[in-house]
Amino acid sequence: MLQSRFVRETMTSIEEWIKQLRILDPKRVRVYEAFVDTVNMEINGKIYCNVKPRRPFPYTHPEYIIFFAEDDTELGILTDYRKLDRMSRKRLERVLKIIYYIPQIKRIIKLDTTKSRYEWEIETDKGVVVIKTWSRCTRWLPNGKLLIYDVDGNVYIVEDISKLDPKSRAYLDIVA
Amino acid sequence: MIKIGDEESSIEYFPSTEELPAVISNILEENEEVVASIKSDISDLKYGEDTLVLTNKRVLVVRDNNIIRNISLKEIESVEVNRYVGSLVLKAKTESGIKSLISYTRTRAKYFEKIIMLINDLTLNQIPYYIVRKHLKEQVEEINRKNSKRKILARMISFAKPFWHLMVATLALMMFSTIIGLLPPYLMKILIDQVLVPQKNFHLLMYIVLGLLSINLTLTILGVINGYLSLKLNQSLTYRIRKILFEKLQRLSLAFYDKYSTGSLISRIVDDVNRVQTFLTQSLGLIIIDITTIAFIGVILFSLSSWLSLIALIPIPVSYIGTTIYRKFSRRYYHRLWRKWSYVITVLTENITSNIVVKTFGKEKDMFKKFTRSLTEFIGMNFSVFKFEQKFWPAIGFSFTISSLLIWWIGGLKVLSGELSLGSLTAFTSYMWRFYQPINRLVNNLRVLQRATISGERIFEIIDADLEVKDEDDAQDFEFKGHIEYKKVWFTYDGIYYALRNVNLKVKPGEHIGIVGPSGSGKSTLVKLLLRLYEPQRGDILIDGVKINKIKLEAIKRQVAIVMQNPRLFSASIAENISLGKENVTLEEIITAAKAAKAHDFIMKLPEAYDTHVGLNGSRLSGGEKQRIAIAAAILKNPKILILDEPTSALDAITEEEVTEAIDNLTRGRTTFIIAHRLSTLRNVDKIIVMDRGGIVEEGTHEELMKKDGLYKKLYESQFKGFLKQQKKVEEIVAK
Repeated sequence: MLQSRFVRETMTSIEEWIKQLRILDPKRVRVYEAFVDTVNMEINGKIYCNVKPRRPFPYTHPEYIIFFAEDDTELGILTDYRKLDRMSRKRLERVLKIIYYIPQIKRIIKLDTTKSRYEWEIETDKGVVVIKTWSRCTRWLPNGKLLIYDVDGNVYIVEDISKLDPKSRAYLDIVA
Repeated sequence: MIKIGDEESSIEYFPSTEELPAVISNILEENEEVVASIKSDISDLKYGEDTLVLTNKRVLVVRDNNIIRNISLKEIESVEVNRYVGSLVLKAKTESGIKSLISYTRTRAKYFEKIIMLINDLTLNQIPYYIVRKHLKEQVEEINRKNSKRKILARMISFAKPFWHLMVATLALMMFSTIIGLLPPYLMKILIDQVLVPQKNFHLLMYIVLGLLSINLTLTILGVINGYLSLKLNQSLTYRIRKILFEKLQRLSLAFYDKYSTGSLISRIVDDVNRVQTFLTQSLGLIIIDITTIAFIGVILFSLSSWLSLIALIPIPVSYIGTTIYRKFSRRYYHRLWRKWSYVITVLTENITSNIVVKTFGKEKDMFKKFTRSLTEFIGMNFSVFKFEQKFWPAIGFSFTISSLLIWWIGGLKVLSGELSLGSLTAFTSYMWRFYQPINRLVNNLRVLQRATISGERIFEIIDADLEVKDEDDAQDFEFKGHIEYKKVWFTYDGIYYALRNVNLKVKPGEHIGIVGPSGSGKSTLVKLLLRLYEPQRGDILIDGVKINKIKLEAIKRQVAIVMQNPRLFSASIAENISLGKENVTLEEIITAAKAAKAHDFIMKLPEAYDTHVGLNGSRLSGGEKQRIAIAAAILKNPKILILDEPTSALDAITEEEVTEAIDNLTRGRTTFIIAHRLSTLRNVDKIIVMDRGGIVEEGTHEELMKKDGLYKKLYESQFKGFLKQQKKVEEIVAK
């Protein structure tokens, strides 16, 4: 049912709505303890346990974090978690690294194009791995980064193509 | 015989008396002019030809040179079409009743639409004849100008104008390579006659070998340079034509897109552009070079031996006739082959996509049989094509062998009798093969020219299409308050049916208007005109008192938003799709808009959240999710006028509730049109308008309309029949 005639008198602009967002001051946020995928933390002097940090823009703005309470209530938004104190940042990053397990490709050692799949041997920041992808497996992000999805839906990222060696770039030319 | 869909029998404007049935010229009065004529493809209940002739005074229908209808334009109120299965009947509405004029198949309908509009302009719309005549004459001249084959060729060549230097360079290089390529046989003649036969002149032998080496080296280098230049020319030209086409397509109104299928437009941008580009970059140059080469080698052959040259010409007519016949029949064979292959693919696709049906009905064996049978038929067709080809190519090849053997026989006799040197005979045979090559290529390239001209026509059809909706010179841009008025608006998509008839409507700023009515009553058309996706034929639409065609399109696009039943998303991330509503958007704005649209929660549950790629047309999201993303984009756009075209009709009850909440946030304080089938969603709007057959038949609030015994009440009761029955029962029980 649409809004009644009384409450829709004035147009709500996006600016007014933005005011309702709970943007957090990094100086008033502290992460005390990090578990596998949750943290215990203090926000504006109040302690919260088993908080779930989430990135709304995991590839384009990984610094942007939204914190959710155990019951999925939104606790607030941190526009740049890197502004947290050193220890809080370190603890939070540990959790984020498991929630966003996105190996960074450093080198492409081998690329076989057999059948309708590609088989890659890649060196990542998390070690050397052999992955299989479909022929259409890449996605360019607006910030110039390249994502590669394997057949199982795992994601790998190339942060800066120009920093790859010529052989890896030549391999990427085949698929991207 | 009547050809269904024969392009040549389309409408003729201002035809000459020779083009009309003889009886017409006998009955034309003074100052009476034939405006147009059109032939039908049904006559007297069978395939046949009746001719409808429109003059500035009357409409005539001729069958077998007899006039079977003769109605003055003064008598006609309007003309309209009745559509049936496989046929259409054109009728004239007159004071004395409706009179049938002519029948035709659906294939001819598109041509008849033009004459219907013309007759209605002169009758229904009361446009003076001199204005219709002037417009028509201009149109005919424009069509003639555009359709002239020579002009099309010239216009096609004009695409390459910015790259003329590349064209000249490639042509010059090709010409130079061809001339150099003609030298080796002549050097061979010198080698045989002056070195090998007399067994002397060592130095000459060395020079000739070095000469042949240099020629080959030069040809290789020229080939590489030419390859590079050709590629550059190809790519630049394709880029230019596609850019022109794409720009034009973006500016064309929806009326244009209604006329062409997506496939047809894509085929023009991809296939037709390729054909024109191939012709301009390859075939055109080759045609010039081949004509020059044929003339050049012809002179050499005749200078070497005129008798042998005549024999060399024998296979040319055989090859030409053989190839022409082959092309005519091969098309049928290859079409059959393509059909068989297409059937194999159909069976395969059916088996994969409907696998669940195949399995649940236990039809695996049947499908297997069907597939193997289709494969066997395809293989059989391949053999038929092979057999057919063997009837032509060996025979054509044999004619060349006979000619070449004759040349060796007669030439050999001439060499033995001393009339011809051995070198001349060797050079002759070598040049002879180089003579056949450009002839064959020329025949092929002339066909390429033919096909490219057709493609050119199809490309220019888009480029020359009229921009029905464009900014007037004095169009203004201003901030809308949201006051809207429709004044006696008439609109037709096809010139036959009026989707809107004399619509009058006034909407105050911030008012919410519900639009209801049966399918095809004109609800969507009403709002499409507000977005200026089409122009009304008659009447005016005003925003804040300014006629819509005097408002800049940019201003309308910026301040009017539409949320459709099945919103289309771009193949990009969720964040990018939401950002479509505003430039330079911040992350906070994206999140806020998504929250207002009740989309934030489901987005955050996706592992890649706002960076999730939605897939082609949002295929990775559900209907409700797509709807909420579209609403978020609309919220970000902050429009003054909002159109909701059945935004919740495709959703389940739970999703509908969430989307409705999102819509509440979006519509607050904005002039809003809500088209809805579910009348329950309209109970709180300020005014409901009820549409039927293109007109507004009722207007008022829900309560007011329910008091009337009209269409709205009927629609409402039909939707709530079950519910009302139950309510009545409850009331009865309570009363007892």
